[in-house]
Amino acid sequence: MFWHIFSNRLKCITRDKGLIFWTLVFPLILATLFGMTLVNISKQEDFNSINIAVINNEAYQKDENFKSFLTDASQGEDKLFNITVSTKDEAEKLLDKGKVTGYIIVDSQIKLVVKNSGLSQTIIKSVLDEYSQTVSAVNSIMTNNKAAIQNGLLEDVNKRREYTKEFQLGTKDKPDSSVNYFYALIAMACLYGSFFGSKQIIDTQADLSKQAARQSVAPVHKLKVLVAGLSASFVVLFVEILILLSYLAVVIGVDFGNQIGYILFTCFVGCATGISFGAFVSAIVKKSEGVKMAILIGSTMTASFLAGMMNGNMKYIVEKNVPILAYINPVALITDAFYALYYYDTHTRFFMNIGLMSGFTVLFCLFTYLIIRRQKYASI
Amino acid sequence: MIVSVKNLVKRYGDLVATDHLSFEVKEGEIFGLLGPNGSGKTTAINCILSLLNYDKGEIKLFDKPMAPDAYDIKRDIGVIMQDVAVFDELTVYENIDYFCGLYITDKVTRRKLVEEAIEFVGLNDFRKFYPKKLSGGLLRRLNIACGVAHKPKLIILDEPTVAVDPQSRNNILAGIKKLNEDGATVIYTSHYMEEVEQLCSRIVIMDKGKVIATGSKEELKAMIKSGEKITVEVFGLGSSYLTSIKQLPNINSVQYTENNLVIKYSKGKSNLNTLLDFFRDNEITYGRIYSELPTLNDVFLEITGKELRD
Repeated sequence: MFWHIFSNRLKCITRDKGLIFWTLVFPLILATLFGMTLVNISKQEDFNSINIAVINNEAYQKDENFKSFLTDASQGEDKLFNITVSTKDEAEKLLDKGKVTGYIIVDSQIKLVVKNSGLSQTIIKSVLDEYSQTVSAVNSIMTNNKAAIQNGLLEDVNKRREYTKEFQLGTKDKPDSSVNYFYALIAMACLYGSFFGSKQIIDTQADLSKQAARQSVAPVHKLKVLVAGLSASFVVLFVEILILLSYLAVVIGVDFGNQIGYILFTCFVGCATGISFGAFVSAIVKKSEGVKMAILIGSTMTASFLAGMMNGNMKYIVEKNVPILAYINPVALITDAFYALYYYDTHTRFFMNIGLMSGFTVLFCLFTYLIIRRQKYASI
Repeated sequence: MIVSVKNLVKRYGDLVATDHLSFEVKEGEIFGLLGPNGSGKTTAINCILSLLNYDKGEIKLFDKPMAPDAYDIKRDIGVIMQDVAVFDELTVYENIDYFCGLYITDKVTRRKLVEEAIEFVGLNDFRKFYPKKLSGGLLRRLNIACGVAHKPKLIILDEPTVAVDPQSRNNILAGIKKLNEDGATVIYTSHYMEEVEQLCSRIVIMDKGKVIATGSKEELKAMIKSGEKITVEVFGLGSSYLTSIKQLPNINSVQYTENNLVIKYSKGKSNLNTLLDFFRDNEITYGRIYSELPTLNDVFLEITGKELRD
């Protein structure tokens, strides 16, 4: 009996063009668009030297150490700065035109003038702060411990020549932050499985569809029909996610790293979360099928937005300002599980996300069961 | 008894959908539930099937209390709902096979039953069609096949001919008679009195959730005072003649509009002969003339004071 229902539910799901569009074709279209849009992002993220200006005043000309420091920082293959020495007026004009990120005024202290805030400005500020701290420390040591000079202090300080260095994150040689968008996309596709869950509830509850009413008068327990339907939904959704992953990896060229087993496991749990979420929403919302679908689409898109699918910074904004949202948003959990696999050497964060997703799945299933377990209705 | 309903009360808020409804269905009969829309027929059926909660009453099927988990009872029931209840994503064959499979687990037996059901409703040429490709009449036939493929002992049909063309309606009614002849007990709900008259051996007339009359169509018609209705095409009939006609025996009412004379009689014999004698004696020329026996609508009209189709 289970297989009879299961096989027919498989047919119903795979032949539902609307459902297949939203759960497979739409994510593939988005993946293609993302691929076309994000192809140059990682190249843009390669470090480029920062253009800065230095005001050519008397203090600057007298500060041989700083001049030497800037000369070192603007030489070599991995140079940090492109330096223009100019008057203050010229520097202002360059800054206004965006030709330089900021300009430096050497006075009693070293000052930095910028117009905006951002990564480049932060780098200049950090480098200048480090220089000032180093000069201050050396001066202090020279005053209090002149022997340090004989012991090679100045040589050690002058050895600092390399300002940029690549670090290996997680398991990847060259991490690519654009994969975050694709993680969110996969997570969204998993949560679109909620449409499957909703369909199963509608096709099982006699007060929601005629077909369900006909099934309810048959000698089959409603939960058997539901479990068979949800199982069929899971199989179809998981296959769709595998197709999406393959498309991303083979056609778009997204590099998911070498933990493919964990990635599949994440998708497996994500599919279960998505389907159970849809079943729960459909069971609890006593409205028409259209309203249920609108709620599911709206909640999935909102969850995807908050997980960073439309704006990469959103994930960090949410984690910083409303951290609880990151823990209850299934899309964010799936995205973060991928993120943890990609960027972390350990699996602690990954399994925390998997644990939360599994917990939500169990809760969604439990609440759905409690809502639909009754077999008679007040009205049909 | 195949079905026994006693004092069934079902309320939707302040609305009483079935009001102490009681009836019994005997084995082998085609039992009709006749009543206007909103009279509580579908609610009664849904209560019998344990789909709806009800406030009061007792329902037994095959002499056992009906419940949602009474699977041994459900195995012997076939239901054809008012709305077509099939899956759009499954073909004609697959739909019948799916619903039959909820009752029959053996594949070989099921295949045979599905083929018989397709043959029975005449959908052989459409077995690979999806429901959306079928006309309204064919869809109704598919709906019936899905409900009866497993050869149930009790078949419940809730308004199965709504929005169906006359040809398909005749096919459906003939099919129901055939199912009954093959041994199934049938409960048939409708607001089409002609269908119920044509099909049912015993009828319950319902109004506002209550049983207002029960019996065979002959017994029901015998309950009322009205007799036949005679309609005559007469041109230019004067008012003095109308007054004279009203004096003839057994006449309840006389209407004359647009050259049509309509006379309603109470029970009595030779009414047509008396009328024709009157026309001949007064040299009144007439055209078409026909007589109608009282219908279930007349029964309903006399008991409730309103038309069945209201």
